[in-house]
Amino acid sequence: MSHSTVPRSSAEAGTPVKTAAASGDAARPREKRVTRKLSLRHRFRRDRVLILMTLPAVVLLLIFNYLPILGNVVAFQDYDPYISDNGIVSILHSPFVGLENFQRMFDDPDFWNAVENTLVLFFVQLLLFFPIPVLLALLINSVVRPRVRAVAQAVLYLPHFFSWVLVIAVFQQMFGGAGMLSQLLRENGHDGLNIMTNPDTFPFLLTAQSVWKDAGWGIIVFLAALASVSPDLYEAAAMDGAGRWRRMWHITLPALRPVIALLLVLRVGDALTVGFEQILLQRDGVGPGAGEVLDTFVWWNGVRNQDFGYAAAAGLVKGVVSIGLVLAANKVAHLMGEQGVYQK
Amino acid sequence: MTPNAASASSGTTRRSFLASTAVATAAVAGGMPLLAACGGSEGGSREGTTSGKNAKKILPAYVASNVVQPDIPSKNGSAMGFTSKLDVAGLKTSVPKKLGKGGKVTIMSPFWGSPPKQGCAYYTAMNDLIGVDVEWRNQDGNTYDQKLGAVLASSDVPDMVVVPSWNMMGKIPNAIISKFADLGPYLSGDKIKEYPNLAAIPSDAWQRSIFGGKLMGLPMPAGYVGNIVPIYRQDIFEKEGYEVPRSSDEFMAWCKDATNARAKRWACGDMKWTAFANFGVLGGGEKPLWWNLVDGKLINRIETPQYLEAIEWTRKLFAAKVVHPNFYLGKGQIGDTAPMFAAGEFLVYPDDISNWYGRQASYSTQNPDVKIWGMDIWGHDGGHPTLYATNPANIFAFINKKASESVIRDALAVANVTAAPYGTKEWMMTQYGVEGTHYTIKDGVPVKNDKGNNEVINAYVMVASPAATIAHPDLPDYTRAMVEWQQRMGAFTKKSSFWGLQITEPSRYTNLATNFEQLEDDIIRGHKKISDMQQAIADWKSKGGDKLRDWYKKLLDENGSAAG
Repeated sequence: MSHSTVPRSSAEAGTPVKTAAASGDAARPREKRVTRKLSLRHRFRRDRVLILMTLPAVVLLLIFNYLPILGNVVAFQDYDPYISDNGIVSILHSPFVGLENFQRMFDDPDFWNAVENTLVLFFVQLLLFFPIPVLLALLINSVVRPRVRAVAQAVLYLPHFFSWVLVIAVFQQMFGGAGMLSQLLRENGHDGLNIMTNPDTFPFLLTAQSVWKDAGWGIIVFLAALASVSPDLYEAAAMDGAGRWRRMWHITLPALRPVIALLLVLRVGDALTVGFEQILLQRDGVGPGAGEVLDTFVWWNGVRNQDFGYAAAAGLVKGVVSIGLVLAANKVAHLMGEQGVYQK
Repeated sequence: MTPNAASASSGTTRRSFLASTAVATAAVAGGMPLLAACGGSEGGSREGTTSGKNAKKILPAYVASNVVQPDIPSKNGSAMGFTSKLDVAGLKTSVPKKLGKGGKVTIMSPFWGSPPKQGCAYYTAMNDLIGVDVEWRNQDGNTYDQKLGAVLASSDVPDMVVVPSWNMMGKIPNAIISKFADLGPYLSGDKIKEYPNLAAIPSDAWQRSIFGGKLMGLPMPAGYVGNIVPIYRQDIFEKEGYEVPRSSDEFMAWCKDATNARAKRWACGDMKWTAFANFGVLGGGEKPLWWNLVDGKLINRIETPQYLEAIEWTRKLFAAKVVHPNFYLGKGQIGDTAPMFAAGEFLVYPDDISNWYGRQASYSTQNPDVKIWGMDIWGHDGGHPTLYATNPANIFAFINKKASESVIRDALAVANVTAAPYGTKEWMMTQYGVEGTHYTIKDGVPVKNDKGNNEVINAYVMVASPAATIAHPDLPDYTRAMVEWQQRMGAFTKKSSFWGLQITEPSRYTNLATNFEQLEDDIIRGHKKISDMQQAIADWKSKGGDKLRDWYKKLLDENGSAAG
């Protein structure tokens, strides 16, 4: 239903577009300023249906995404939500403490520990996780028989739908101190392994879990990009005597490059978000020295210790740094000649 | 205590210990701007405590209940024990006339397990008995702290809210004082005689229910003997010819002897709680109990050599690889240890005393060969231990300040039924449900069926309870052993300076010691060093620990201690 109405109404809206443009053109020679004004009003009239259609989404966005941003003001307060029944009233009545929360944060070794862990984890994940879906996509793409391919894809996607609790429980059963692997070693006269609770290797454990769970899911975008490559190119290259590796280097990888660049930009923008649930669940096993990242730091201080102002300050800093990272990564993508996330 | 009460408090009391450091008993916006902002009309001090003469003015009168004489009377801070068979025909009625006026009362409470549906037979029968339409809003007990903060910050606070003291961290005490009703006008002095079962709750439990200078909580009374028992596999001890260790060195030696990782057997779980008791570390759940007056000066447990010794001993235990590997994991990650214990993967671990009975009762049906028992707490050098008392009430039900008088009266009617003592029809209904529907009686022993096990857990037992009671007619030996254990340990138990008081620390200090529990665990597992702890203690002192000491000293000088 809506499928058929939407194009029609935009087509209807299309009619005044032309007249508006025409009248704008007619007005231009006489008075430039008036023209601009008219054109804005006309443009509004011309797009009113489209604007109306986006309005609900914009309103939702305002209410649920932009309005709550104002709540960040508690980062500058000793916020106490229990003063009143209403969050806004509580904000109005909580005492302002200026930059005290931020000052405390920058003096807090636990905060810097969380920053360090977050960055280490980001780089480990970038190096060890990011390339894997690309490789998997290339591998899957080279499978010719459709049935084998479908089965392989299904098997690879499936772990994505397991909850972290489940994934970690499986890892625990397999690699835990009393898990299958350790017990097998002990039965054969060796020592058990300490994989799940070793702080030194914790980033690698987390990355291994992420790879197991999400690498398969990550190939979807790459497969879509690969599907858009014309088979003619491969045929032509093969005719010219290009081998398997040359075809990969000169056709497949260039086809993937924009997507890889896009995802890299997104990933860098998300650098400070390295996985919350997965880490929170395992934080105590290795201790916060290795297991505390920015998100768990915010959770611990905000939800657990109810130090809302302090947690909001940490969250705010994280948000600001993340925006900076997205902008920087996008700039780099532009310099490399890629589209990035957006263009001016 | 009955199976269901045990299941309620097994989670609870154990967790009270778990949360020990995280529990900030306090946090109240002492800041004047705050009070001024909300009108400041609430008067009374928000931080501090209320005791002595001030407390007497608001405490309810105590009218003992003598429905049934216990087989083992309370002594040395123990619960009272009932070991004999249940005389069903002789059950007394403690609430002759329904006090409820038929109104609706919503109650939010922590729940360990999966709650039954609202209209289930147990809830319906209880509501009929009380004369109030109670609507339960049960929340997962393990993550209750996360829910509680949000609910109290909202405009939709239920009529009644159950808050365990280990969930009173951060700003929660502040919320309690500003969101809940003063029950003084209904319960202080002789007014409580309208609710005879509440009047039979011991005064020290009511003393703990004073928040911000007002009587606010309906308490779940508890004995003051520490609740953590080293529970061991008696059947395996007998089979292997092991002797129960009597000193920390003996325990360590036994552990090395008993561990055989190749056969998937380790000696013990995380023995930290027991080590604290062995070495005589101050404590007992709440932060005010960490302080004690020694030679005119208040010292905190983290400053005592015993504290470091206990941590170091436990660290050695882990380093010796005699601890089951799963205990290296975080608390939330270990999961249910009951099957591993039943499988003999480890032989000793510290647990809440209610599980001495609780686990045996569940093993009796599933693993009939398993026999568990509790060890006496040994002094680390082989002598008598020095133990410190826990508080005489740790779970409280509060009533919404906005509730009308009729709702408050109905809520008190609920509490008056749930606080009925052992030997009454109300106790039987609260603890076991409806005969024939939830349990059957064989030879004077009530046994719950599946429906009983599914429906009659948590909920009503969380609202106010009678004086601490252990009553398990199905395992009389265990009942006796538990009460006697409490009495033996009670003889070595001392009350520290702030025992029995409900203390609200100034908000700026509430999170001062939050990280110590984590640090203890990190050291014990070899992630950090004892020197890190010494650094943390120095930081604690300079960042407010010494000021907090002065604050507590002033409190002690002004109020005196409840322990007398």
